[in-house]
Amino acid sequence: MESSELEEEKAPPLPTGEGSGERGGVPESRVEAERYEPGSERDFERLYRNTYRRILGTLIALVRDVPTAEDCAQETFERAYRSWSAWRPDAPVEAWLHRIAINVAISDRRYQRIRQAGEVIKRLGRPAPGPDPSVVAERSEVFRAVSRLPTKQAAALVLRHYHGYSNREIAAALGVPEQTVASRLAAARKHLQAVLGR
Amino acid sequence: MSDIERELEQELHRVLDPISDRRIPPRRSIQAHRTLKTLLGGAGAALAVKVLTGVAVAAAAATVAGVATTGSLNPATWGQRVEQQVSDCKSQLAAGAHGIGDCISPFANQHGSAVASAARQHGNGNGDGSTKTNGSSNGNGNANGHSGGNSGHGKDHPASPKSQSGDPEPIDPIGPNAPVKITPRP
Repeated sequence: MESSELEEEKAPPLPTGEGSGERGGVPESRVEAERYEPGSERDFERLYRNTYRRILGTLIALVRDVPTAEDCAQETFERAYRSWSAWRPDAPVEAWLHRIAINVAISDRRYQRIRQAGEVIKRLGRPAPGPDPSVVAERSEVFRAVSRLPTKQAAALVLRHYHGYSNREIAAALGVPEQTVASRLAAARKHLQAVLGR
Repeated sequence: MSDIERELEQELHRVLDPISDRRIPPRRSIQAHRTLKTLLGGAGAALAVKVLTGVAVAAAAATVAGVATTGSLNPATWGQRVEQQVSDCKSQLAAGAHGIGDCISPFANQHGSAVASAARQHGNGNGDGSTKTNGSSNGNGNANGHSGGNSGHGKDHPASPKSQSGDPEPIDPIGPNAPVKITPRP
């Protein structure tokens, strides 16, 4: 059974900073130079422009195809917009968005499982339709293996190996301890090695 | 960094970078139909449907039960009408005559049919329901007949279930004994 959704989509808690110049576990250099005013319509539009591509990149790795990822990205920003006035400026905004995006991806995977069960019942006795060739062409064996991982493990991998976050930053984004992030990454790598036979 | 990590990183960038470089679409506005979808979907909606169905079934059952017990959709009205009919029938009786069953039966039968159709509309339209309702109506007629005497019960009742179904009334076979005459007491 896949893990349930992450904690409530509040701004991630701030870990006690070890070094100076860090906020919410994210180095000052990575925290957006721009400032956002919670509840401001104009600032939210700016946030959308600045972060859409990164959020979409994460979602493409977590859900089945690009159109679904785009839909999930829009859903992510809708949810964020509803809570925009409650967002705290002292927390990293992209980590907050990533947490929402991962929750959306978990919901989508759950919905897809229910839908697939319905389709299996409908086509009993008939062969299953093949996957969309356009989707298959752009995905390698490694990428498909990542997509099949449990969502939280896949999210940790993408944040680490695509966005270049440290374990601490991932922990801040997901609202879990660093040890949890480390164990998710280890489990994901082990699973990939087993699937890919390396 | 292990080989698998390096390969994973390369693959993620190879696949995701071109897609992520696409043009940013306009932000989707929060639409009213999504709120409606939320209200109409999910566990909350399923629970609401169940509650509403339960209330509807309970209301229908209460109405049918009331009809079956009192013999009328409006018990107060039905009772008053029965009383009126009984007093009318009594007043129509000739001096020395007994029993108002014949007078009451058409009235009770007519009302019983109306109540049975109402019960059918509430989803209880099987044969048992209508028979029971008719029986209840006839019972009222008989009860009123007691005040005038015991004659006219049963066999000559036009609204009894047996006579409605078309079965012949049981007839005593003619035996060797002559029928006994009963003279009413003065």
